[in-house]
Amino acid sequence: MEKLYMDAAKDVVVKKEKKKKTLATRIWQQKELILIALPFVIYILVFNYAPLVGWTMAFQKYKPALGMFEQEWVGLANFKQLFSDSSFIRVIRNTISMSIINLSLSFFFSITFAVMLNELKNKSIKKVIQTVSYLPHFLSWIIVTGIVLDVLSTETGVINQLLMTFNFIDQPINFLADPKYFWWIVGFSNVWKSTGWGSIIYLSAMSSINDELYEAAEMDGASRLRKIWHITLPGIKPTIFILLLINIGNIMNAGFEVQYLLGNGLVQEVSQTIDIYVLRYGISLGNYSLATAAGIFNSVISVILITIANKFSKAAGEESLF
Amino acid sequence: MKKIVKWSLAAFSCAALLAGCSSESGTTGENGSTSGGDTTATNDDIRVYSAFMGVAGKELPEDNRINVALAELIGARAEVTWLTGQTAKERIGVMIAGGEYPDLVDASDGYSQMVDAGAFVPLEDYIDDYPNLKALYTDLEWEKIKAANDGHIYTIPTFSSVRGENTETNYGQEAFWIQKRVLQWADYPEIKTVDEYFELINAFLAEHPETDGQPTIGFEVLSDDWRYFALENPPAFLAGYPNDGAAIVDPETLEAKVYDTIPEAKEYFKKLTDEYANGVIDPETFTAKYDQYIAKISSGRVLGMIDQYWQFEQAVNSLRSQGKDELTYIPFGLVLDPSVQPQYREAPALNTNGGLGITVSNDDIEGTLAFLDGVVSEEAMILRGWGEEGIDYEIDENGKFYRTEEQRANWRNTDWVDNNGLDYGYITSYRGMLPDGINAVLPHEQVEEFQANLVDIDLEVLEAYGHEKWADFMEVQDPVYPWFPIYTERGTWTADEPAGIANQKMTEVKMKWLPQIIMGGPDKFEDNWAAYMAEYEDQVDVEAFEGALTEEVKRRVESEKEILEKLGEE
Repeated sequence: MEKLYMDAAKDVVVKKEKKKKTLATRIWQQKELILIALPFVIYILVFNYAPLVGWTMAFQKYKPALGMFEQEWVGLANFKQLFSDSSFIRVIRNTISMSIINLSLSFFFSITFAVMLNELKNKSIKKVIQTVSYLPHFLSWIIVTGIVLDVLSTETGVINQLLMTFNFIDQPINFLADPKYFWWIVGFSNVWKSTGWGSIIYLSAMSSINDELYEAAEMDGASRLRKIWHITLPGIKPTIFILLLINIGNIMNAGFEVQYLLGNGLVQEVSQTIDIYVLRYGISLGNYSLATAAGIFNSVISVILITIANKFSKAAGEESLF
Repeated sequence: MKKIVKWSLAAFSCAALLAGCSSESGTTGENGSTSGGDTTATNDDIRVYSAFMGVAGKELPEDNRINVALAELIGARAEVTWLTGQTAKERIGVMIAGGEYPDLVDASDGYSQMVDAGAFVPLEDYIDDYPNLKALYTDLEWEKIKAANDGHIYTIPTFSSVRGENTETNYGQEAFWIQKRVLQWADYPEIKTVDEYFELINAFLAEHPETDGQPTIGFEVLSDDWRYFALENPPAFLAGYPNDGAAIVDPETLEAKVYDTIPEAKEYFKKLTDEYANGVIDPETFTAKYDQYIAKISSGRVLGMIDQYWQFEQAVNSLRSQGKDELTYIPFGLVLDPSVQPQYREAPALNTNGGLGITVSNDDIEGTLAFLDGVVSEEAMILRGWGEEGIDYEIDENGKFYRTEEQRANWRNTDWVDNNGLDYGYITSYRGMLPDGINAVLPHEQVEEFQANLVDIDLEVLEAYGHEKWADFMEVQDPVYPWFPIYTERGTWTADEPAGIANQKMTEVKMKWLPQIIMGGPDKFEDNWAAYMAEYEDQVDVEAFEGALTEEVKRRVESEKEILEKLGEE
């Protein structure tokens, strides 16, 4: 009996030794791979982690002319200032609302578009549509907002002219002057710009679905819609979940250019995002500490959101990031 | 074999990283030489300095004829970039955060941020070695600049130096503008009040609903971001105060006061509300971007607007080059009550907190100063103003410069100017007369040239009102007080100070409410105005704002006294 235990213990020791050995040897065996990866790890450390030292600014009354150690430390004063400002609370609301609108619209349109494109049997037409649809992705926002402003113009805008021709309205609507339209204008501008691009990844996921599944369904008499519902969509489900998770981490970044370029005094209460707040109250008023504090808040919320979303996804038995 | 592949991959990725690093430092090196400004030899050893101007402007090709000629003359040139699509403070703020600056910076509203960040090189110990620069200002003026900046000269003011008489022919500041054709149609009436102005526009609009097939627009107020000031600042002018910008200052008590709450403000915005309801004001004016505004004015269908001339100057140039001079504008300094004396036109005053400065990223300070000294030498000033002899201008037997008809036509053509001219408008300069005492620095300020450039409608307008030049339409502010202009102080506030936050909030409240009130209709005007005032009081720390300005007014009055006393002693 005792011997048995001894053997077992010995076994464990041996196993441990074996493991230790293998770690070192494994490193040695994989030295080329590690060397290949090393530059990228260094890159991440230098460009993504080293700048975090700058976060100390949020706890100082930072003056650019002074050195790092000559700054005055103020504790959480900058955070207090942030949260006592009604404008900041408002920009958080705007940021999250616009993010959610963007997220839902872009998911809906990208997936629908990808499914429709996938159903297209003529290869050359499919190629042309695909190419044309993702071109707007390469336009800069300054151009896209220029187009949006033209389309929404009360004088020459195509939308007002259409609505007037079909007698929906008698007077042109100045869409950009009314706060209730703004989030949707931003949302649909995003759809126009990114639907084609966003659908690429779904299309590639669809192309990996086994054709036999479709054939089998056809045998069973499934209609086109049935096939989409029971084969195509479940086939790209993992992709959808992963993208959703990544995008939830980005929810605090609703963008900057589009709101900055489309906004005006009349809609500023719904148009300003956290980034614009940082620019107005932090950078242009020379208060870099406040800007940093807002940035930290942003990052912390993002990390929390992505962790929660990941947990949920895991618990539901779906894909997860980590 | 597999191993070789792996090793070469590893070596490759390391090399890529190193290459990434070195090309990275390579680009900063290059930036450093354009922005760091050592004497990078481009063609023929001409030194190149990067320059940033904190105002909107047009970038011109660097191989432009006059640009090349000037670079050859002084052995150096500046690569000028301008502000695009954001405010000067935002751009300067980003520069400071990055810690890298162009060689030369005119920070505009971001001046005090630059000074606080220690980004400007103090120049007081250098200036004496550069005679042309030194001659731009008198000793008293240099002293005033030092007094306003703790004893330092960080920047050389660009527009404050006037040699000889003030030769200004155009009016370049804020006014209510109206198209020449409207005045002609109404047989050149005298316009003094805002009521008369809108009456005229209404009458013309009723008879001319279309211009070149497009609807005529009665009145525009530019409201795009920082350019919105002509929307909010008229009350100060209407009440008879000069362009102090941030506030009105009582000359007796030296108290600064916001002009948003004075009776003139309410009366003026009520007027705009009525005119909006009449359809005189463009419904898009509060949402239009700057480009759209310029496009509308360039189309010639805008009858009038309130603005600073330099904001829509490019639209006027475009109208002139299309030969549509009757669609260009005449300024009027309007008031509400005809007994009030308007003070729209600023007297040339020394701006002690602005102009072009050399930054700490510049490692060739002396070379840069030599460049600046060069660009204000007589030959360079002629080249900058008039161009090249024989191509752009001729000289008569008395030494007077003139242009031939063809040369004038060239300089009226904006495309031609873009391909030949220079974008040195914000580089150190002076106005008035050249050292020869015969010629004006700028061709359009030379009386003969100015007159030769007038077309029929211009002559008609000038004659009808009995004026010699456009500037005569506006009377110069009188008197000029020592604190003028107080808006330069507002620019120095940061978010640390309650006044800085108050200013930001004030801007936001006005940007939102003024358009909302005007578009809200006359019926709701009283309610809207009350709501606006309530939010104004709730959001804006008026006391901090006024207090900080009042303090600065008093400081400037004292400082002027001290300098004058010192001068008296000497």
